[in-house]
Amino acid sequence: MELIGTLGPHLLNGVALGLLFALVALGFMLIIGVMEVINLAHGSLFALGAYVAVALVTPEGGLRLTALAPYFSMPIPGRFVIALLLAPLAVAGVGMLLELCLRRTYGRDPLYGLLLTFGAALVIEELIRLVWGPTERFLPLPTAITGGVTMGGLVYSVYRFFASAFAVGMILLLWLFLQRTRYGALIKAGAHDSEMVRALGVNLTRLRLLVFAFGTGLAAVAGIVMAPIWGVRPHVGVDAVVPAFVIIVLGGVGSFWGAVIAGLLIGMVVGLTGAFATAWSLVSMYVLLVLVVTVRGRGLLGKKSVLER
Amino acid sequence: MKSGVSRRTLLINGVLVGGATFFGPWRHHHVYAQKKDKPILIGLTHDASGQFANSGQDEQRGTIMAIEEANAKGGVLGRKLAYITADTETTPATGSRVAERMITRNEVAFLVGAIQSGVANAIGQVAQKYGCVYFNTNSSSPTESGKDCKRVKFVWDGSGANFALAAADNAVRTFGKRWQLLTNDYVWGHNTSKATREIATRFGAQIVDEILVPVGTRDFSPILLKVQQAKPDVVAAAVGGDDFKVMRQEVVKLGLDQKPAWLNNQQDWPDIYGLGIESVFGVFGTTWYHKLPLPGVTDLVRRYQQRWPDTRIDVPGNVFYNGYMAMWELIRAIERAGSTNNLKVIKALEGHKMSAKDRLQHHDAWIDPETHHVQQTIYLAARNDKPTDPTDYFKIMSWSEPSKVRDVESAKTCKLQSYESTPTYEQ
Amino acid sequence: MTVGDDPRTLAAGWLSPGMLVAFAVFGTLPLWIERVGLYRYLGVEILIWCLFALGFNLLLGYTGLPSFGHGAYFGIGAYAMGLTQFHLVADLWIGLLAAMLAAAVVGGSVALFISHRRGIYFALMTIAFGQMFFFIASKWTSVTGGEDGLLNIARLPARLGVVAFDLTGNLAMSYFVFAVFVMATVLLWRLVHSPFGKVLRAIKQNETRMAYLGYRVYVYKWASFTLSCAVAGLAGGLFAMAQNGAYVQVMSLQWSGVVVLMTLIGGGLVSFWGPVVGTVVYFLARDLLGAYTESWLLWFGLMFMLVVMFKPEGLAGLWQDAVARHAAHRRARAVALQPAASE
Repeated sequence: MELIGTLGPHLLNGVALGLLFALVALGFMLIIGVMEVINLAHGSLFALGAYVAVALVTPEGGLRLTALAPYFSMPIPGRFVIALLLAPLAVAGVGMLLELCLRRTYGRDPLYGLLLTFGAALVIEELIRLVWGPTERFLPLPTAITGGVTMGGLVYSVYRFFASAFAVGMILLLWLFLQRTRYGALIKAGAHDSEMVRALGVNLTRLRLLVFAFGTGLAAVAGIVMAPIWGVRPHVGVDAVVPAFVIIVLGGVGSFWGAVIAGLLIGMVVGLTGAFATAWSLVSMYVLLVLVVTVRGRGLLGKKSVLER
Repeated sequence: MKSGVSRRTLLINGVLVGGATFFGPWRHHHVYAQKKDKPILIGLTHDASGQFANSGQDEQRGTIMAIEEANAKGGVLGRKLAYITADTETTPATGSRVAERMITRNEVAFLVGAIQSGVANAIGQVAQKYGCVYFNTNSSSPTESGKDCKRVKFVWDGSGANFALAAADNAVRTFGKRWQLLTNDYVWGHNTSKATREIATRFGAQIVDEILVPVGTRDFSPILLKVQQAKPDVVAAAVGGDDFKVMRQEVVKLGLDQKPAWLNNQQDWPDIYGLGIESVFGVFGTTWYHKLPLPGVTDLVRRYQQRWPDTRIDVPGNVFYNGYMAMWELIRAIERAGSTNNLKVIKALEGHKMSAKDRLQHHDAWIDPETHHVQQTIYLAARNDKPTDPTDYFKIMSWSEPSKVRDVESAKTCKLQSYESTPTYEQ
Repeated sequence: MTVGDDPRTLAAGWLSPGMLVAFAVFGTLPLWIERVGLYRYLGVEILIWCLFALGFNLLLGYTGLPSFGHGAYFGIGAYAMGLTQFHLVADLWIGLLAAMLAAAVVGGSVALFISHRRGIYFALMTIAFGQMFFFIASKWTSVTGGEDGLLNIARLPARLGVVAFDLTGNLAMSYFVFAVFVMATVLLWRLVHSPFGKVLRAIKQNETRMAYLGYRVYVYKWASFTLSCAVAGLAGGLFAMAQNGAYVQVMSLQWSGVVVLMTLIGGGLVSFWGPVVGTVVYFLARDLLGAYTESWLLWFGLMFMLVVMFKPEGLAGLWQDAVARHAAHRRARAVALQPAASE
């Protein structure tokens, strides 16, 4: 009973972390599923989302135009919501540019796509460093979602609950989108058989562009939501992309719920090891990956995919 | 029809390239008419990116201001001072490479600057190899004046042990015996926590747990959960740089800053300024404060504001102070030694006394000849509940005389390299 | 055009014109490097990374397997060098041997897990393992020194029978590293032009076909990975000596990616010397461009992207194209100069 008492809070923490990991992985998974491109720039775009949000919420975050002074006198909740809506759009624009660059690598060995996105990740991170500087930034939050809440004698962060709830919401929204809307159906069809989709008269090029924009926009949303938890610094992208692909490989490529379950699993493992050996908690993620992949090569719920080509 | 590269074009291009190699901007050996014309080049090895970028930049403001003031007075030994900077990226490997380049390519006369102890160590190693005198301005791991001490290295910041000594006795009596340690997982963190553990238990504390905080931690929830579960009287945190900034925000947001009592070893000014007085919590140490009621302090603050009007850190703090004072003492040591020869400068520094008036502190300071660690006044502070202006974050509670808080344990492990084994170095 | 399409190179002996040029340049490097405004330590660094990149290219350019976690084996070699010195015996040769062995053993174990994969799956797994080793090295402070690294690694003297060379100075170190570089390069050259090397190249072209032909593809891939790790370990051991320390950052994803960048831009996919060219370009960019602008890595990254998009064969590929064009021109002119067949 006492063990549950000690572990319980860490488990709760782990579930919250897992939902957030799943959120981070969503956009990544979408792009792999449809376009069979491993977008290593996912992490840098995640970071870019956070930075653009900082620029939109704080006056010294980048937009130093005095003409915008009335905008910055708006209360923080308003600016935060605007950032949450506009920053992903900006990042989606960058994502579309990246897709244009990637076009030259379609049809070739998928390795080239991987290499290109790796280069893009580097370039975007350096751009961030150039524009915003190397020091850490902070994203101010509306006071309604900050602070602590006491449960069972321990204080938990309110923001984590908000972030977890947000993640659950996004996951459900995305699932509904894929299941119930025409565009979602197109995306799923494109994932299943892109040739057929083109044969049916759909503009595959435009579809790919939109999927990329959508996927990178999701990365940006994750970046903004995670900013208060992981910090806003140029290198935070790496902290995001590595768990993202661990989740994909673990959950299996092409499986939506595989990614969600994998995210939760990883979050719980990290959270629980945090109770015993905090310093090693992140390594547990990799150990889990190696174990699962050795036992079941395609991950938990995976289908045959570009990874195996 | 001709195509391709003709032989003549090749020849011309070859001459141009060859000529450029010999006469172009690549040559860095300038020929000076007299030795006097060659400036004394100082290599500034401050972190400009990574965890300690803020502090690195602040310390650089100190060293550069001192250099400029000295040049305004005519320089040193009739020579002007010049400086070059390089970003050590808060990474020991980069520090090592930067030191090699500055010494072998740029031929600096002295190396100055460090915040992160790992970087300071790496630079110190390279400096000792060539004999170049190195001033560790702001890294406060107890081992810097302990097992990592070097004949060419001089340490200007109070060490984690100094601060622990100044605070521990009071803390056990005031707050309680159950202590928990939070340790940043690198040299400074480990050694500071080790010193704290040893000192606190000496005064009767009981260490219930030590939690390692990996460098770069942003998510403190598991750690804070463990802290709450352990219910200590005192949490002694050896967490620095950005990690500490984030931890502090988390602790204050969750309302955990009142109970337990937080002992934060040393609080660097750039890490706290701008976050608001509310983010100050616990008890912590510092080597200097801009509101000390001593003559000369307001003048330094004024000069700082005149020279650096654009920085967001409106008033100087301990990091700037350490850089500024260290650089000035280097300049004075060169004057005393009458040369830039490394062994002469080292001898001019060992045992050197600096008056309280010059140091703008309450007590005289001196450079311990056995460890090369500056023994100085250590101040204990907490949040100021009656600030006189928006910059008045700290309330200075007490100050300790240097000899009372001397780190005897580290001194035992320090073995300075002999003068004979240290290569001669002069630029 | 892939590596070794030209029948001349397949029949190459122990040396080649390219090798002689490279040896001439690197052998004399310490003598003129300061004249061009650089410094000897940089020369040592460049040679060590060239060695690393050449070993890495065995995997990427010749076998077609992309590893984004090779920095880990470089780092393991560096730590092994230091730890051997501190805890076993302070001997240069044993230290270097230990560095190679440690990296090969760890690499070989990893290769057991991933040698049935290829392409992207392979790359992702190498990232996972690389990160794992990076984390372990950062946290295992009692052994590796954690974030601060393993310091005070001495440049032990190179003893050959009765003669011992002191390597503490950068000049002597340059020559020692050069000697190791020469030996390793010649051995690697022989390896890629041996039957083993041919099989690797065939696997890169079409793995399934090789499997159908009866080759045990898994074993060849495993061997290629392990050998490249051994070379990485050797380079790491040398670097630990050069820096007098072993630091953990080289094991990060960033640095593992840098070696991919260098190898590809230089043209490792089509040329044995590609990695060397790429390494030199990277370090020159860092030190020369880096002195003027903080964002040199941005330009380097953009260049990399352009290379991947438009010329994956890299700089060596451009050179080969130029040589081929020149040869074609000459042939065309020779034909044009011949008298007309019929008047």
